[in-house]
Amino acid sequence: MHLRQSYPHLFLAVITLVLLSASFAYAQGPTAGPPSTTIENHVCLACHSNPTLTLTFLTGEVLSAYIDPAQYNASVHGKVGQRCTTCHADITAYPHPTVQARDSRDYSLQMYTVCKQCHAHVYAQALDSIHSKHLAAGNRNAAVCTDCHTAHYVFNPHQPRARISQTCRMCHSIIYDQYAQSVHGAALLDESNPDVPTCVDCHGVHQIVDARTAAFRLKSPQMCASCHTDAARMRRYNLSTNVLNTYVADFHGTTVALFEKQSPDAPTNVAVCYDCHGIHDIRSTKDPQTGIIKKENLLKVCQQCHPDATLDFPSSWMSHYDASPTRYSIVYYVNLFYTILIPLVIGSMLGFVVLDAARHIKERREKSTPPSESEAQDE
Amino acid sequence: MSEPREYLRFSLAQRIEHWVQMLSFTLLALTGLPQKFVGHAWAETLIMVLGGIETVRVIHHTAAVVMALACLYHLVVVGYKIFVLRVRWTILPRLSDLRDAIDVVRYNLGLTKARVQFARYSFIEKAEYWAFVWGALLMGVTGFMMWNPIHTTRFLPGELIPAAKAAHGAEAILAVLAIVVWHFYHVHLKTFNKSMFTGKLTREQMEHEHALELERLLAGESEPHPDPHLIKKRERVYIPIAALLSAGMLVTLFLFVTYEQTAITTLPRRATVQVFVPLTPTPILRGTLPTPTLTPPTLKPLPASHAGRTVCNVCHETGAGGVPKNPPDHAGRTDATCTACHKLP
Repeated sequence: MHLRQSYPHLFLAVITLVLLSASFAYAQGPTAGPPSTTIENHVCLACHSNPTLTLTFLTGEVLSAYIDPAQYNASVHGKVGQRCTTCHADITAYPHPTVQARDSRDYSLQMYTVCKQCHAHVYAQALDSIHSKHLAAGNRNAAVCTDCHTAHYVFNPHQPRARISQTCRMCHSIIYDQYAQSVHGAALLDESNPDVPTCVDCHGVHQIVDARTAAFRLKSPQMCASCHTDAARMRRYNLSTNVLNTYVADFHGTTVALFEKQSPDAPTNVAVCYDCHGIHDIRSTKDPQTGIIKKENLLKVCQQCHPDATLDFPSSWMSHYDASPTRYSIVYYVNLFYTILIPLVIGSMLGFVVLDAARHIKERREKSTPPSESEAQDE
Repeated sequence: MSEPREYLRFSLAQRIEHWVQMLSFTLLALTGLPQKFVGHAWAETLIMVLGGIETVRVIHHTAAVVMALACLYHLVVVGYKIFVLRVRWTILPRLSDLRDAIDVVRYNLGLTKARVQFARYSFIEKAEYWAFVWGALLMGVTGFMMWNPIHTTRFLPGELIPAAKAAHGAEAILAVLAIVVWHFYHVHLKTFNKSMFTGKLTREQMEHEHALELERLLAGESEPHPDPHLIKKRERVYIPIAALLSAGMLVTLFLFVTYEQTAITTLPRRATVQVFVPLTPTPILRGTLPTPTLTPPTLKPLPASHAGRTVCNVCHETGAGGVPKNPPDHAGRTDATCTACHKLP
């Protein structure tokens, strides 16, 4: 308080600095300047533009040491004139120091940490990812920065948008094939549709979470709803935005919504969106073969958790519809009946009670004052 | 015979029955309403306080069983009173109850000076009793349907399950509001009726609320007491039938609770797809530029005479003596790098 009064400008300056540095930290771009280096790229390219140039590891594995100058210069780093030695900082002369890595994977795992010197924020995010956890547990296949972005030819990772999912495909090819067949994947790959989710829209970008946890499962309906309750987007495909409300109003959704809020890590087998609609292979509900708009198809879905269910069981789920005179009319008329009955009954009771209470109070008051003649006759 | 100051209204058994019903009703409302109003902060707080939705459901189901058992007991007792003791069925609604209701309203409005006199059960109490009968039946049936949806939909259209849920929830609101408005007013607010605690009403309360019943009691009329032999004879018929029926109802109740394993009890299903399946060979993601064809530059091998030489630039930088001069792009390259491309034959 005292400080603020004596040095208001200093206080403001500090606040501004804090805010500024915070906003820098959250920007996507590099957060720190690269270390200074004086070796020009053409010096390196004098040799490394030779396509036959290779590096042989201790295991005998051969890695191409060729750099395509045109590709590099077109990449995000080449465009801003980043020097080779910014990353390969240990190389200052020829002959180069001996590469200590056993094989090319080992080399990648040693090298990728250099990304941190400029991209500390996303690097830190990636440390929380399932990939980093697997890497820490000793899985050398777990993706590091350069596996998705490449080491030398870094381009905008979402240009074109399908590039995102194709990046994931390099390691998750079976899942990619399922996704490519889904409503989302087909729209992305065939039409470059900007509305459908790519892998990262559900799984996260650098902080890719483990999708098998109870927490992910409980959060998933909100994840789907982030697009499926977006009126502008859904209107383009004539899809309902009422899907979350109707889900939460039913048994499954009520349970999941409460679990998410009150015990977000508790496992539950109650159905979430993807249990009925598919995980990576989400098909249109109107698909003539597999669409769950067909009772028989929906029954198969129900039977995954309710093995004894018979053909009429699926209609106990209102298929994301609100009851109306034409759809789920019994439910509609039950609701209508009570909408009339409750105010009618309770209203009559209240009317009766209020009259009775008024009379009762009046009589009490008269009793405490000398009784009038009429009152005396009454008794 | 001196007139007693208090009159027995409810026996101990009846009072216990009322308490059991009251407790189970309260528990059902307390655990049921927040389920109906999920999404509202108060409802979710209540659910959390009660131990989470799963616990709330268990409490609700347990309280429902308690209430069902109390109802079953009530049926047996009422049956005994009607068929064996042949008491007057004083709670049966009559046309005179409707007249009474109208007269009370007229009296309260000051349209008549005649205060309505009630027998053992007034229309106020009868309305409540029969509302409870209706409510218990409806809640029981709809509750069963929701508890056992798979078996219900074997015989009935699936749509009846959400309809049952709608009716169950709406009826609950009706019941709770009726208790609050009707019951609370008549036995707690207007006068505090202690008969469910002590079993007794004072003479004054009797005069006010059950004048006709008091008149009957004062006239020395009591319930008919058939001779013990007759009772024994009737019991021999009633008890086996009642036992059979209650056994049947108990079995039904047991089924109600245990009939259906609604869903699988395993933990969440998971995608069983193999996660790590790298594409081979791994495609190298590049930009949009065409990848150049990987042809090495055709370089003439060094003359054999150059074997063992370690210096290059001394001659080739200047082209001294007519040797090939370094092209301009080789500027700055050191001797150590030359043999990377220029190899001996």
